[in-house]
Amino acid sequence: MSRAMVEVEELRKEFPRRGKSRQDPPVVAVAGVSFEIPQGEIFGLLGPNGAGKTTTIKMISTLLKPTSGSVRVAGKDAIRYPIQALRHLGTVLSGERSIYWKLTGRENLEYFAALYGLPARVARQRINALLDRFALTKRADENVERYSTGMRQRICLAKALLAEPDVLMLDEPTAGLDPQSARNLRDLIREVKSEGRTVLLTTHYMEEADQLCDRVAIFDHGQIIALNSPGALKHDLDDLNVLEADIARWDDAWGAALQERGAVNYDLRFDETARVHRLTVHLNGHLTTGEAVTELVNLGADIRQFSLKSPSLEDVFIRLTGKSLRE
Amino acid sequence: MLKGWPQHLRALGAIFRKDLQVFMSYPVNAVMRILEPLMWMTPVYFMARSFAVDGVNIGLRAYTGTTDYVAFFVLGAAISSYVSAVFWGMGFALKNEMDTGVLESNWLTPAPLLVQMLGRSLFSLFLTTVNMLMIGCCVWLLFGFEFTGRVLPALLTVAPLLVALYGFGLGLAGVVLITNNANNIIDLVSNNITILSGAHFPVTVLPRPLLAISLALPLTYAYDAVRGQLLGTTTLMPIAMAQAILVAFMFVTVTAGLIVFGRIQDRCRQMGTLAHH
Ligand SMILES: Nc1ncnc2c1ncn2[C@@H]1O[C@H](COP(=O)(O)OP(=O)(O)OP(=O)(O)O)[C@@H](O)[C@H]1O
Ligand SMILES: [Mg+2]
Repeated sequence: MSRAMVEVEELRKEFPRRGKSRQDPPVVAVAGVSFEIPQGEIFGLLGPNGAGKTTTIKMISTLLKPTSGSVRVAGKDAIRYPIQALRHLGTVLSGERSIYWKLTGRENLEYFAALYGLPARVARQRINALLDRFALTKRADENVERYSTGMRQRICLAKALLAEPDVLMLDEPTAGLDPQSARNLRDLIREVKSEGRTVLLTTHYMEEADQLCDRVAIFDHGQIIALNSPGALKHDLDDLNVLEADIARWDDAWGAALQERGAVNYDLRFDETARVHRLTVHLNGHLTTGEAVTELVNLGADIRQFSLKSPSLEDVFIRLTGKSLRE
Repeated sequence: MLKGWPQHLRALGAIFRKDLQVFMSYPVNAVMRILEPLMWMTPVYFMARSFAVDGVNIGLRAYTGTTDYVAFFVLGAAISSYVSAVFWGMGFALKNEMDTGVLESNWLTPAPLLVQMLGRSLFSLFLTTVNMLMIGCCVWLLFGFEFTGRVLPALLTVAPLLVALYGFGLGLAGVVLITNNANNIIDLVSNNITILSGAHFPVTVLPRPLLAISLALPLTYAYDAVRGQLLGTTTLMPIAMAQAILVAFMFVTVTAGLIVFGRIQDRCRQMGTLAHH
């Protein structure tokens, strides 16, 4: 049995409401979450904007002080002994500005290696190895401001791995990357796991959580509303059929009619490129897919195409909250 | 991983090196920053000459006992450069890193924050020293001046002042963390103190209300005592007493600075204001 590398218990964070009087209730960013991550696991925090993912990461990384609750990293109490915890942690926050743009990639790594307390010789070896591994050697002596977003993200990842931490935390690691770079980065994250490190990452791409994570905590309004492996989460929806249909025009009354007929849930979003409404309907035994399509056609919907899907984490989220993950 | 002093020294060295690298990446600015002090020195020299009667600055002599305004001024400028180096060094660097977004990356390392703060002042201290040495050389080559006193005791006088300034700078850096207007605050505090404490003239020329403020600033005694020691000027009070005041000032500001900085840093962790733009 591997031991827990990250232990979070009843973690809560309230922010005072800006510019309001003290009587106003505070913003509850994280409303008491608990989870444990065993060594070698990739653990994902999945949730919509404002769900409290970043706040949770910042509390674990000691940048934010929790209102209540406890955090342990590699067994060290991160709230009482932040420096001890930081020795075991590598963190990449979101945004490309977390390194010095006026320095080269190598200079950045040399600087942070020193701040992590690596002796110069060790630092030099590790930096060369990391640059090589992340395919940055050729551009290592160029200023970071001339890098692509993907390269910057790789330097940030290298920076976080300099001290060979037990735990690597990544806040929205693939946000803003093109699909190729994102895939590349996910491979690197898997490699980090294969070295026995524990990875905690946040994302609001459910496919990413599905592919990458051993377990996923689904966040909503500062709470964990489900926590399990992606497979198990989807398995809970076994009785569910998912119908996806592209419709030219939409009328809210149709949704109500579908639910009246026995649809569990539905969700709608507008596809800008195809200029159609993409309707997702969750169905169980009460209404078959065929009946649902017929119903829509009878109501006057102009269905361009439809398909049946197996449930995804997105569907898990819709099922749990009645709303879609991405807005 | 290194721990304790080796860790801290390595971090300090790296911060200094990083600041030097960033400085060098703006070459024109770097040259300007190095030459600048020479440019503002020159008019002062000729102004002083124009006020002198038969080469003797009678007015200054009446106030201070020395007629060498250039030396009087250079000494004042040197001290005030160090004063603003420590002010700017920490607060400005902090503000800068907050704006560019790298501050959180620094706070994510196990290097203690005080070490990081100290590191941020090193480069500006270094730059100031380079400037002062250059001015010293030029003034000496072009105009010549002689110290009548000894340098070592004067350095002992300024040492507690420098430490005291760190206390002040730390407190100010704390304020920078929670306000958006770092430049304005630093400018305001730094300029007024420099003017009132007599960096450029004997404070005894000030009208009474301003003189009262001036005499309440420990910095005034630093300028005064160092000039007394090096140029043999008449001092406001016995030099030993000025030194005692500076040592006391050092304890007060360092304690206060640590408290203020600690409090504000704590508040940042509570409010999550580290990365605001
Ligand atoms: N420093 C702060 N002061 C006040 N409120 C804050 C602060 N930081 C975050 N919040 C609020 O806390 C809530 C959670 O924010 P958080 O950034 O943790 O969400 P998130 O899940 O990371 O979202 P995103 O996907 O947008 O990154 C939001 O309502 C946010 O407005
Ligand atoms: Mg976030």
